[in-house]
Formats: sequence, structure tokens, C-alpha cells
Amino acid sequence: MNLERIPNEEKLSLCRRYYLGGFAFLPFLWLVNVLWFFREAFLKPTYTEQLQIKSYVKKSALGLIVWVAVLTTWITIFQHFRAQWGEVGDYLSFTIPLGTA
Amino acid sequence: MNTSDSEEDSYNERSALVQSESPTIPSYNQDHDMSLPQETDSKRRRPVSSGLDEPGPVERERASTPDGEEEELTLKYGAKHVIMLFIPVTLCMVVVVATIKSVSFYTEKSSQRLIYTPFEEDPNSVGQRLLNSFLNTIVMISVIVVMTIILVVLYKYRCYKFIHGWLILSSLMLLFWFSFMYLGEVFKTYNVAMDYPTLVMIIWNFGVVGMICIHWKGPLRLQQAYLIVISALMALIFIKYLPEWSAWVILGAISIYDLIAVLCPKGPLRMLVETAQERNEPIFPALIYSSAMVWMVGMADSSNPGSADERQRNEGRARAQEGVESEDDAAQGGRRRYSAEEDLEEDRGVKLGLGDFIFYSVLVGKAAATGGDWNTTLACFVAILIGLCLTLLLLAIFKKALPALPISITFGLVFYFSTDNLVRPFMDSLAAHQYYI
Repeated sequence: MNLERIPNEEKLSLCRRYYLGGFAFLPFLWLVNVLWFFREAFLKPTYTEQLQIKSYVKKSALGLIVWVAVLTTWITIFQHFRAQWGEVGDYLSFTIPLGTA
Repeated sequence: MNTSDSEEDSYNERSALVQSESPTIPSYNQDHDMSLPQETDSKRRRPVSSGLDEPGPVERERASTPDGEEEELTLKYGAKHVIMLFIPVTLCMVVVVATIKSVSFYTEKSSQRLIYTPFEEDPNSVGQRLLNSFLNTIVMISVIVVMTIILVVLYKYRCYKFIHGWLILSSLMLLFWFSFMYLGEVFKTYNVAMDYPTLVMIIWNFGVVGMICIHWKGPLRLQQAYLIVISALMALIFIKYLPEWSAWVILGAISIYDLIAVLCPKGPLRMLVETAQERNEPIFPALIYSSAMVWMVGMADSSNPGSADERQRNEGRARAQEGVESEDDAAQGGRRRYSAEEDLEEDRGVKLGLGDFIFYSVLVGKAAATGGDWNTTLACFVAILIGLCLTLLLLAIFKKALPALPISITFGLVFYFSTDNLVRPFMDSLAAHQYYI
């Protein structure tokens, strides 16, 4: 879908839907929102809905950063402490590497 | 693992090569008062008959030109369109070959078979094996034919909800279940520890965003990427679960079926084309890879908000406008000329059905899995691209729905068997004797 060809109200509605959808544990959706609407929000000459689109993009970016921080922390903790956790570690693991502790 | 019927169908439905129209080339006779219906392009869709074909390739006929006007015979599809299709087909094949070469799961023979290939291939007897592979092929092709006919019937009786539900179910399965399997195998191959919470997040995000992009609205590039990924996943499943010889025979048989189904007057795919043409409807976008946005500048219907199929409708209307009615043509021609003058036309690009991607990748993937070395794989790859090129050329010349599988698959099969049996021993003995050519 080409953003150039849809009217501004629809762009706003699309941006808003992507933003709202991201709350369902979907940081990827927020990422797509930020990347897709970045040009629309920041690099285009101003139009009526642009302010709201900008706010959605910013909020999506914020949510994305929070999720990335949370996931990075969790992954680091898991990878580091997995072996030490014994049974709990195995229970949480989807794949267990062979040949290591 | 037994795949569901919906999977089979969905992949079948995906085979179609659709031509999108390129904007008409404005006539240079601007001093004429009457507008020229300038559709020099007609869209062609080619249902690939691998199975299910997708509803309605729409055929567009060439707009009739007014009397006294010379028709410009131009080839709508130039090098640019060919490249636009080469890239996704190549990417799909690269993903499949890379996976085959690195993740051993997809080359391990499993005792499970698809229900579509019930006959076991006995490696001890050549005759028996050949017979069983032919029987498997017959079963598979008949399943495909039945599914195609069901699809045509559903389409004719306008059971759109059923078809949509079917498509959504099959994409759900592809995007969640198969990608879960794939990730699991990749992690095992690279000996990486992965925990359930992170995995669930990854699969959930991948799947949901994929559903949104494919079935609703999303950035074009992301949608193309998702279509390539699901074609690759489907091809990998086929490579794993189809028995050796059956796979080759099935590839050949599907190309023949494609040819018959699309070109024969009573073929199911052709009937689909005609029905869709009568109704001026587009093919479901979830089954077609489109290389560019189809857009009609100045279309009155583009301001139709809130429709989930907005883009499809736009496409449909764009195509519809290339119908045979003269007033539409005139209006179209006028609009197109107008838009051409304003330099707002956008190239439509070409469309290819996902089944085509899948079967091309199956061929190259099998060549990589069983062919021995890279010569064979590369030869098949080149063969398929050549076939695609020729098919596009024919499409541009004939301007009719054409099947995309036969030429490429034929070349691919010929190249595979000849490279495997002739070129490889030749190269091996050259290398053994250190003789460089």
C-alpha cells in the first residue's frame, strides 16, 4: 500500500490503528508504524493531521524502546543464568544447547 | 506431519501469474478530439496451476481503438518488470537453499508422509518405486484438481466468506505453526538456547504483523517480504515431506496440469478467469505477489475508505476500467491521457502467484538437497529465471492469461537431470585430473 495515494484522514486512522494494535504485546507493529510513518510525520510539509500522526509515531517509538529494553534485559538474564537455574531453566527452555553445562 | 487440506489449497491457489497493467502509453495524436482508449496493456493473470489457483485471473482485453487510429504495438513488459520479478523469486530460492544447506532437518527423511502421497517409495526396486511415485502423483494431482473445481464452484456461487476464511486459516497456519517449526530447527542447528517467553513473543509478533500486512493494509515492502517468507516455508515443507521421486514427477505433472487448466476452454482456471472478468473483480491479494502498487490516478473510487479490500477494489476497478466497454475505454483513455500529461502515472508492475514461487523454490531446493553440488543448484536457478523471462515475454506478446509454471519447470527439470548426470561427472573428472577449462 502506497501512503502517497491515500487521503490524510486515512493515514491518520491507519497510524492510530497500528499504534493501538501495538498494545497487544506487539512491539514489531510499533516498529513498523515508526518506520512507515516516519517520513509522513517528520519530513513532509505540514498538513492538518500531521500533528496527531507525529504524536502517534513518537508514542510508538517510546513503547518500542521500552519493549526493547525489557526484552534485552530478560534475554541477557536468561542466557546468563540459565544453566544455574537447574530445573526452572530447563522448564523455560525451548531449545537446550548440547555439549554445554 | 500431515498438513491440512487448507494448506494444500492455499498453496494451490497461489499459483498464478498475473499481469498488472502498465499505464497506457498516450497517443501522440493529441489533436484528435476523441479520447483514445488506450489500454495497450491488458492485464493478464496467469493462474498457475499448481494446485489451487486463485480465483479469477482477470483478463483484460485490449481496448479497441477508434477507427483510423493506428494501434501501437508495444511490449508492456520490459526489462524493468522482469527484474521486478527476478528479485523476489531469487530471494525465495536463496532462503530455501540456505535453509536446506544449513538446517539438516529439512533433508532428513521422516517416516511421516503427507496424506496426499500415500504410497511409500521402496528404495529396493526401481520399477516399484517408479510406479509408486506415479501413483502418488496421480493422487496429488487429483486432490489439486478437486480443490480447484471446488474453488471455481465457490467463486461462481459467490461464497466469498468461505474463501476468505479458508485463506485466513491457511495463512494463520503458515505464519504461526510452520514458522515455529522453522525457528525451532534453526535454533537447534546453531545450538542456541531459547526460552519460551521470548519465543512466544517472536512468533506472536511475526504472525500477527504478517496477517495484518497480507490480509489488511501494510507497507508494500513488508507485504512482499512476508509473501516471500511464507512461500519459502511452504516450499520447505514440500521438500521435506514429498518422497524423492514423487517430488520430481509431481513437479512435471503440475506443469502439465497448469498448461491444461489455463489454456483449455473448459479448464477450471480459465473458467475462473472468465468469471472474474465478467464480474470485474480482482484476485485475492493474499495469494498474489505484486511487485508494485496498482494504482489508478484520478480514480473516483479511491476515496472509498474503511474497506479492508480497498486496495483490491482499486485494483479491481483499475482493471475493470480496462474492460471492453467503449465508454469505459473512452473514459479510461481520457483519464489516462490526462494523467499521462500530468505525469502522474505509476507503473503497475507485474504480479506472480505464490504457487509459482513455491514450486520454483521446491525445484531448486530439491536440487540443492539431493543434487550433490552447487553446479546443479545454480543450473536449476538459471533455468528457472530463463523460463520466467520467456514466460513474461510471451505474456507481453499474447496479452492473455498464461501459466507461469510450464516453461520454467521444464527448463529446470531438464537442467537438473542433465547437470546431475552429465555435467557433474565431467567437472569431477576435470578437477580430478587438474585440467582447467
